[in-house]
Amino acid sequence: MPRRPRARHCLGALLGLSVVLGAAPARAQVASLDLGSALFVEPSKRSGLTVVNPSATLSVKPSDWLTVQGGYEADIVSGASESVKGGKLSNVDIVTSATHFADTRHAMTGGFTVTRASTHLTGSYTYGTEHDYRSNAFAVSAGTDFLQKNTQIELSYGRGFDKVCTTAYVASDAPSSRLALDNSEGCFKDEKKRASRDINLDNFQVGWTQTWTPVFATQLVLSAALQHGFLANPYRSVVIASAGDQALENHPENRARGALGLRGKYYVKNLQTAFSAGARLYRDTWDIFGQTYELDAERYMLPWLRVLVRARYYTQTKALFWSDDYTGGEPATGPRGQYWSGDRELSPLSSYLIGARALATRQGRPGQRVLGLFLSLSGSISFDMLKTNLRDFTLGGRAPDDTLALLWSLGLRGEF
Amino acid sequence: MKLMEARVVIKALGLLLGASLSCASAGCATVRPEQRAVLADPTMQFDEKSMDRAALEHTLDNREGSTGGGSVRGGGCGCN
Repeated sequence: MPRRPRARHCLGALLGLSVVLGAAPARAQVASLDLGSALFVEPSKRSGLTVVNPSATLSVKPSDWLTVQGGYEADIVSGASESVKGGKLSNVDIVTSATHFADTRHAMTGGFTVTRASTHLTGSYTYGTEHDYRSNAFAVSAGTDFLQKNTQIELSYGRGFDKVCTTAYVASDAPSSRLALDNSEGCFKDEKKRASRDINLDNFQVGWTQTWTPVFATQLVLSAALQHGFLANPYRSVVIASAGDQALENHPENRARGALGLRGKYYVKNLQTAFSAGARLYRDTWDIFGQTYELDAERYMLPWLRVLVRARYYTQTKALFWSDDYTGGEPATGPRGQYWSGDRELSPLSSYLIGARALATRQGRPGQRVLGLFLSLSGSISFDMLKTNLRDFTLGGRAPDDTLALLWSLGLRGEF
Repeated sequence: MKLMEARVVIKALGLLLGASLSCASAGCATVRPEQRAVLADPTMQFDEKSMDRAALEHTLDNREGSTGGGSVRGGGCGCN
C-alpha cells in the first residue's frame, strides 16, 4: 500500500499545524480541527460488511474574509458480497458465489471560502483513490443573503472525473459476453486484462432558505445530476439465461437525476426544543421515483449538552430495467433485454431509520482557553439503525439477511 | 405511490413554492436582527456540519437509489 505513508504524512501535517496555530496567542478564532470516526456494521452471517471511516479536517482563517480548508478521510471496508446475482428461477449458489473483499479508499480534500458582508464563495478539490477506483472532483458554491438577511440563496456546482477498473472488453463485444472482475490485481497498471473506464459526473444545486418568524425557517433545495460512463458494478455478474449463462452487469451509460427537498424548522419555546420536518421527492431517467420523509427534534438537556433524536422513512420504485430474475425470456429490445442489474439499490425498496446524537460543548471564557488550548471544544457521539425492506430482491430465490445496518460515529471539534 | 399521486404532490409543492416566493419578495416575512436569537442557535441550522450527519449521508448514498435534495448552508443568523 504505497499511499498509506503519504496519507499518514498529510494527517501528521494537519495535526502539527493545528498545534502550532493552537499555541498562537490569537484572540479570535483562527483555526478549527475536526476529528472523527464512524463505524458501519451489517450484522449478517453471510456478508458481515464492516466499514471504518476515520476523518480529519483542518480549517484556518488567515484573515477575516478567507478560510482555507484541508482534510483527509478513509473508508476501510471488509466483508463479503455476491459476485453473481440470480433470482427466483436462477438456482444460484449464494454461499460459494459470495466473495470476501477488503479495500481502503483514501480521499484528500483542499478548499477555500471567501466571505464578504453578505456573500460567500467556496471552492474545493477532492482526490480519492482505491485499488479499483480513482476520483477527481471540483466543486464551487456561492451564496448570498438579502431582504434583511431573511432570505438566503445558495448555488453550487460539482464536476467529477472518475475512473473505474474493469475487465478489458472492447465496445464491439456483446454485453452478454463481457466478464466481471474477480479481483483488483493489475488495475491502473497497464495490465492487458484490465481496462480503465471513465465516469463523468455533473451536480447542480440551488438552495433557498427563508426565515418566516423568530422561531420558524424553511429551506427548499433543488438538485440535478448527470452521470455518464460505466455506471455498473465491475465485480458483479448477472444470470441472464435459463441455462445459467452469466454476464457482467450491464447498466445504461447515461443517467439524469433530480430531487426536490423541503424542510422546516420550528422552535417550541414551551418545550425548549427545535423540531424539524422534511420531505424529499426524487426522480431519474432510469424511472426510479423516491420519497423521503424525516423528523427530528433537538434540545439542550444542559447548557453544554444537546441531544437530538431522528426518524426517517424512505421508499422507491424500481428502475425500468430491474428484474429479480432475467431468465424469463425478456424481448431483446425491451428494457430488461438490453440491460440487466444485480444492484439492490435499483430494486423496489423501503427503509426505516431511527437514531440519536448527543453533543457536548465547552466554551472558553474571555481570556481563558479550554484545556489551555481551545476557544471551544465539542465532542459528539451518535447511533443510527437502518432497516431495509427489499420488496423484489432475492439471491437465488432467498431473501438476503444483510438488511439491517448499524452506524456509530464519534466526533471531536476544537476551535483555536 | 402511483404516478398520479406523485404529480399531485409535485403540483402542491409548486403551489407552495410560488406562494412562498411571492410572500417573501413582498416583504411579509421580516424578522428583525434583534429577533434572531433562536434562529441563530445551532439547533436551528439546516446544515450543521456534523460528523454523524456526514457519516449517515455517506451510508444512505450507498444503500438507496436516489440522491440529492439534501440540506445546504443556511438558517438563522445572529449578525446585524
